[in-house]
Amino acid sequence: MKMLLALALLALSSCVTVKPAARSVLADPIMQFEGDPQATAQLRHAIDNREGSYGGGGVAGGGCGCN
Amino acid sequence: MRLQLTTRRLFCFASVGAFLALAFASREASAQVVEVDTAHTFYHEAPTRSNMTVYTPGVSAQATPSEWITVRGGYEADIVSGASVATKAGKAYQSVNPGADVITTASVRDLRHSPTGGLTLRKGDVAYTAQYTFGAENDYRSHNIFIGAKTDAYGHNTQLEISYARNFDLVCDRVQATSDTAPRFRALENSTGCFANTDPLRTRHALAIDGFQASWTQAWTSVFATQLAYTAQLLDGFQSNPYRSVIVAQGLKAQEHHPDQRARQALAFRMNFYLRPIKVAFRLTGRLYRDTWDVTSGTGELEAERYLFENFRVTARGRFYKQSGALFWSDDYTGGDLPLGPKGQYFTGDRELSPFWSLGLGIRAAYTIRPEPKFDGGRPRLLGFLESAKVGASFDILQFSYDEYTLAGRPIENARAYIVGLTAGALF
Repeated sequence: MKMLLALALLALSSCVTVKPAARSVLADPIMQFEGDPQATAQLRHAIDNREGSYGGGGVAGGGCGCN
Repeated sequence: MRLQLTTRRLFCFASVGAFLALAFASREASAQVVEVDTAHTFYHEAPTRSNMTVYTPGVSAQATPSEWITVRGGYEADIVSGASVATKAGKAYQSVNPGADVITTASVRDLRHSPTGGLTLRKGDVAYTAQYTFGAENDYRSHNIFIGAKTDAYGHNTQLEISYARNFDLVCDRVQATSDTAPRFRALENSTGCFANTDPLRTRHALAIDGFQASWTQAWTSVFATQLAYTAQLLDGFQSNPYRSVIVAQGLKAQEHHPDQRARQALAFRMNFYLRPIKVAFRLTGRLYRDTWDVTSGTGELEAERYLFENFRVTARGRFYKQSGALFWSDDYTGGDLPLGPKGQYFTGDRELSPFWSLGLGIRAAYTIRPEPKFDGGRPRLLGFLESAKVGASFDILQFSYDEYTLAGRPIENARAYIVGLTAGALF
């Protein structure tokens, strides 16, 4: 059921068309999900090491750095 | 050790050489293809009986010599100093030993180096990325391989991305007596000789980490976009803090002991919405997390960002996080099987495995410097060679509230973290 819902949503996305000329706001830095990836990754690294959970951001990385 | 250093240097020189060659080649091919960024984060907290300061400097560079390839390299470090809890006891133990100060702390001084290098190849609307990251600390070694693929669909309104990462890690530990079991294991005293192969009392445990992520980013209207991301991670190997001990019975402390396997899953949903009348972009994030240690958590984040004036934007953000404790979490492990058995198979002194919530508030400012346009038709440049430059600064406060974790019955006070971030970047 969940899989069907996800597929239906994905299919719905094909109906959406935002023309290139209308994407000026979407292309602006303030509308990016990760505007500054390095700063975001460092902040997430600091927070992840203080919490018992992980994920939803990215899976790359190296080392523990978990003191 | 010499072989290890030589290999690392070779990797380092090869990476830098390859990057510089591509960067200079790209200068010939196109004028807007090299980007250099640096980020610095300062983290400080000083809760009851401990304190921790971490400075994380990082630099990254990427060059796109041609439309079909981007090559990148970077370096990051963690410079850690402070004092952490070395022996943890709970309130039940303290109640039968009134006045005894069983909580001990140990000074922590560590340096993590983490160089990285990778490339992205593009063909049509699909981009393939491969990256390698090395991590080295006095007591930890990490090799991370990352591969990912991303595609644009439906007129670039949809982005689908999948990625996989594998860590081959090694954790230093103390050699334990072969006849001992976990409740008799002793904690690692310090990191001396951990990777030198000269100390017979040092050993290394493997930790393998497999990570998978899939994400779907969708532009729905000219001012509204969403992102759904699913992450799964499997950990197999030593996951305890080798330095930390837990009081497990009267007069007996043991190195903390976590299960070797852990499977983690997270589902995050983000949406960006630009409210034209007030010219503010709102970012809302919700995340649900669950793992096989029975830690469940929920995270909610809200960010509001707008331009105060041209090229200068400010962000205000708030974050709420709440988690349950691990299945084997207890503030006090004494009172198990006689004569000196702990309560349960596993025991931990890790406050991150206890139930707690946290609240975070932060601000960020970023300024992009662009050259004045030239009226003679020439390409405008800053200082004669920069396409643009940017600087940024941020400040965040995180307040933690621990429901059950105590230091021998004493609740953690002043559990507050301060995070300062500074960034700068330039486009050549």
